[in-house]
Amino acid sequence: MRRAALILLALAAGAIAWAGWSEPLGGALFRLDPALLNTAQAGIQRHLSPWIWDDVALPVLEQPAWLVPAILGFGLLVLRLLRR
Amino acid sequence: MLIRNPRGWELPEREATPEALVLGRRTVLKAAAGIAAAGSLAWPEAAGAADLPAVMRNPRYRPERDITAEREATTYNNYYEFGSQKTISQAAQRLPLRPWTLRVDGMVDQPRDFALEDLLRQVQLEERLYRLRCVEAWSMVVPWTGFMLSDLLKLVGPQGSAKYVRFETAAIQGVMPGLRQSWYPWPYIEGCTIEEAANELSFMVVGAYGKPLPPQNGGPIRFHQPWKYGFKAGKSLVRMTLTDQRPKTFWEQIQPAEYGFWANVNPEVPHPRWSQASERVLGSRERVPTRLFNGYGEFVANLYTGLQRERLWT
Repeated sequence: MRRAALILLALAAGAIAWAGWSEPLGGALFRLDPALLNTAQAGIQRHLSPWIWDDVALPVLEQPAWLVPAILGFGLLVLRLLRR
Repeated sequence: MLIRNPRGWELPEREATPEALVLGRRTVLKAAAGIAAAGSLAWPEAAGAADLPAVMRNPRYRPERDITAEREATTYNNYYEFGSQKTISQAAQRLPLRPWTLRVDGMVDQPRDFALEDLLRQVQLEERLYRLRCVEAWSMVVPWTGFMLSDLLKLVGPQGSAKYVRFETAAIQGVMPGLRQSWYPWPYIEGCTIEEAANELSFMVVGAYGKPLPPQNGGPIRFHQPWKYGFKAGKSLVRMTLTDQRPKTFWEQIQPAEYGFWANVNPEVPHPRWSQASERVLGSRERVPTRLFNGYGEFVANLYTGLQRERLWT
């Protein structure tokens, strides 16, 4: 868990360096692979549920690219501390 | 023995309208022409169900299928600017349809900004029954009202160096919730060759089912080439540019392997994730075989001779 948390925090730092503070996660992913998000959207909407894309995935993708791994990384660290 | 295959637009003698009916219709048309001259059939200033003048259906284009119910065709829509689901018809009502201006520029003798009402006074409106084949393997038949794209091009005078037409659609922040996906290359861009644009099937659509085109179907003005997959038809057009450079389309920038520049309908070339051999008829459970060029090959196949190296089918 600690290793995963550190990787996520490193990812967050890398995202700031590469994409800046304000670029949304969706924008960064689109730059990495333009087809990725459309393929993911089609898969989620066809095989899971259309609302998951609009109400879950999109709000996450609109957040700054660094924020999502940072929250997940700190969350894992906190979880680890609580377990101790 | 002579075996002759009739073309889609050819009518048997038995379907010819009786002379008496034709003469009666001419009387009606004369009266209508008189009213039009008095100005009462001119294109009105505001959008609404009663705004579209009555136009004649062109019998040359016969879909060989039933017309899709209006409710189906106007509530099952792909319009990414309003959302990625099919149920965007309510959200699309926020699009202001008037005033609306269409800019036509680039390699033309007379670049112009057309107020929609002014444009519609300069072209010949007609109704056409066209099949629409979506790349997602569903289809519908819609009575579109509109005019030939070639008529619009005549108004601006294309220059000899123009090779392509680039279509740009509306992208209005605060109105179109789909634009929140800011990473996509808005505005939606589509394009075709100048030869495709000049083809008689290329149609500028301003109405459906005898009414002004609703926003969810691309109102107030869209484009339609029925032998291509539906995503080629730009909705709510704001600009057309004649150019010698092939436009990089919206979908080519996102998924070039799946949605290419040509995108002609071909049942034998599957989409990377599904077959294109058949299509679901909207409003029914029926599946029918898909036809090459969506059944319009006799009108358009000649456009692609010598282009075998191009990816004509994606």
